[in-house]
Amino acid sequence: MVPSLGNFALWISLFFGIFQYFISKKNSKSKLVSITVNGLLFSSIISFFTLMYLHISSNFSVINVFQNSHTTKPLLYKISGVWGNHEGSMLLWILVLTIFNYFIFKLYNKKNLIFVSKTLEIQAFIIIGFIIFTIFTSNPFETMIQTPDNGLGFNPILQDPALAIHPPLLYIGYVGLSAAFSMSVATLTLGDQKKIPWHNYIKPFVLVSWSFLTIGIALGSLWAYYELGWGGWWFWDPVENASFMPWLLSTALLHSLIIVEKKQSLKIWVLFLSILAFLLSVIGTFLVRSGILTSVHTFALDPSRGIYILLFTAILGGYSLILFGTKSKVYFSNNYFSFFSKEGSILVNNIIMTIVCATVFLGTVYPLLVEAITNNKISVGEPYYNSTVVPIMLPAFLIMGIGPILSWGNGNKLDILKKIYPNIFLTIIMTVSIFLFYKSYTLLGIAGISLAFWIISNNLLLLYKRKFTYSLGVIIAHLGVGLLILGITASSIWQIEKIATMKINSELQINNYKIKFNQIKEVKGPNYLALQGNFIISDNKKNIITTLKPQNRFYPIAGIFTTEPSIHVTLLRDLYIVLGEGNIKDGWIIRLYYNPLVIWIWIGAFVIFIGGIISLNNNLRKLPR
Amino acid sequence: MKKQLLKLPLLFFLIVSVIFFYLLIIERNPSKIPSALLDKNVPEFEAESLLTNYQFTSSKEFGNEIVLVNFFATWCKPCRDEHSYIKRFSDEKKIKIVGINYKDNPEKAIQWLKELGNPYSVIAKDKKGKIAIDWGVYGIPETFVVNSKGVIKYRHVGPVSQKEYKKINLIIKKINNDK
Repeated sequence: MVPSLGNFALWISLFFGIFQYFISKKNSKSKLVSITVNGLLFSSIISFFTLMYLHISSNFSVINVFQNSHTTKPLLYKISGVWGNHEGSMLLWILVLTIFNYFIFKLYNKKNLIFVSKTLEIQAFIIIGFIIFTIFTSNPFETMIQTPDNGLGFNPILQDPALAIHPPLLYIGYVGLSAAFSMSVATLTLGDQKKIPWHNYIKPFVLVSWSFLTIGIALGSLWAYYELGWGGWWFWDPVENASFMPWLLSTALLHSLIIVEKKQSLKIWVLFLSILAFLLSVIGTFLVRSGILTSVHTFALDPSRGIYILLFTAILGGYSLILFGTKSKVYFSNNYFSFFSKEGSILVNNIIMTIVCATVFLGTVYPLLVEAITNNKISVGEPYYNSTVVPIMLPAFLIMGIGPILSWGNGNKLDILKKIYPNIFLTIIMTVSIFLFYKSYTLLGIAGISLAFWIISNNLLLLYKRKFTYSLGVIIAHLGVGLLILGITASSIWQIEKIATMKINSELQINNYKIKFNQIKEVKGPNYLALQGNFIISDNKKNIITTLKPQNRFYPIAGIFTTEPSIHVTLLRDLYIVLGEGNIKDGWIIRLYYNPLVIWIWIGAFVIFIGGIISLNNNLRKLPR
Repeated sequence: MKKQLLKLPLLFFLIVSVIFFYLLIIERNPSKIPSALLDKNVPEFEAESLLTNYQFTSSKEFGNEIVLVNFFATWCKPCRDEHSYIKRFSDEKKIKIVGINYKDNPEKAIQWLKELGNPYSVIAKDKKGKIAIDWGVYGIPETFVVNSKGVIKYRHVGPVSQKEYKKINLIIKKINNDK
């Protein structure tokens, strides 16, 4: 009964979606449009929460619930289990699409009638595509005749608070880009004569997407860090790349939009990026859901799904890029600008972000290309990305530090030098003192750390002077990037890793800390059994700092073994310990990491997010009414 | 000139789409990884046996006839799915099958075999997953074909399906013919 309600609501959404597609061709804000948009939102809310109810109430007659849930699962993970699988995540994707659809509808006023109608029409097309996909290839409301007593359970490594909210945040990011896509296509269709400030409409959506992509990606990497037990936080997995590429492009997009706003230049570029960013989000979905690549995120493999998403992507991409190829030339402008200006620095930032995105794209699909042509399997991994992405990024960081100080147009170079002189001084002091503390030098490390402090000091001084040539949000976001780079560089160059076999009561030294293996015992969790090690950590002066308790867990229902690292976190360093295989006689294999400043990666990401939200607030106020 | 440049993204997009499409429709298995062990001798190992009270020694088991090696566990659902095909290898084709019970509870495994039938001539317990590491196992179920000289000739990752069952039979036939 309840599953049919969800299914029915999904069909109603499809109906409203089709209706919206046709009615928005009429270019009028009638009652009907309002009913359709609200109806679409309402029906997708109903179908989504119906599935959530089915998961919470453990209704195992529904295949989706049976395959992904279990009665013993904690409530939080029953809820997050809704989007922890392919079918449910598509339903969430549709819900977010319709929410953004509603916000686009809210932009309606007398002057932009045609523009918003066209945008809603394209948005409706995207919504229809995803609903049809869900209903016919991935319907979460399919039921079985026989109701099993219990479900198959949910992968225990996914049972985690950070991962519970990671997909929704990421989807807000991906789907927000659909609004930029629709608006860009609408602008290209309508041509420039209408004098609609389309870039002002695109910007808040890009800001939302970018902020949520940032925090979503950060949470995913945080999870990988404390859950996977490899001591690292980014693995260049195809799915990580699939989220990283839209992030890079939306970063570029966000900055170009400023130039469009101030200089009426780069319009063509903004239209192109808007299309590309969303296309990459959908291609990312394709790569993950079609099973064409293997990755830790791969959902159920089903070739028909892959073909459907690919066809849909081809229609979206084909249509929008044909439009771009034929209609975008009216947006050309010949405003060139000087390198030593705000717009110059933004342009360089743009080029770099796009190159990095292309590099990551190449690395992600290269194995596929090689396989298609030569039938050989190869894999592209960390060494490729580290040796390409990192050096390309460095100049971007250099320019990022100075960008906010530069003035629009052709500024006086001597003036700039005067302005940045204290910042250079501050950067050198900070860099030298941190290297005196950690006493380990590599060229890349020095570059990374000094650039991080360069950005941090520039933005701190701007905050201190309260002379806001840029908005507060921008300064805070840039500060966050500085902190992020600091965390990334420090934890990469100063990380210490130790792997050893330890017996009870034996000791190990890592950096300035002494680790003593105190005891090992069995413990019982709500849905797992675990072997738990007990390690006492003390410093040089023999003060006990903490006790770390890494576990090896066994989840009997899912039949999966997992390792739970135990981490002691401070602002300066993490101590990270993983319990490996072993026994009383021979001892256990222990992996120990000393990760300096690693927490700043996530503090930085959070600060960026806050900056983004503050900016969003400003931009919403600026929206033409 | 500039106008033509604007059409480049479209061209690039179409090429990538065609390649993706080609990869989707050709028969490929992204989880099929070439095994480093292919055409090499089976790794040597010793282990406790699951059902009988005897020490499993790899050198005794391989080298006399064609052997299938099947990694399985009771907690692995695809293993249950492929079990009927594994049984057909022993029942219909009379092929010797060595089972490696991967990270499993022995009592459950015995119960499982009682329920579904036991196609294995001998089962080694791989409690810590060490044998699987030696064999380079990517994920279970996984099945290897070892020829009568103790050399690994084929590897399949994932459950054996109808299609895979036929394929493995063809490979066994080919090994027999090559002798």
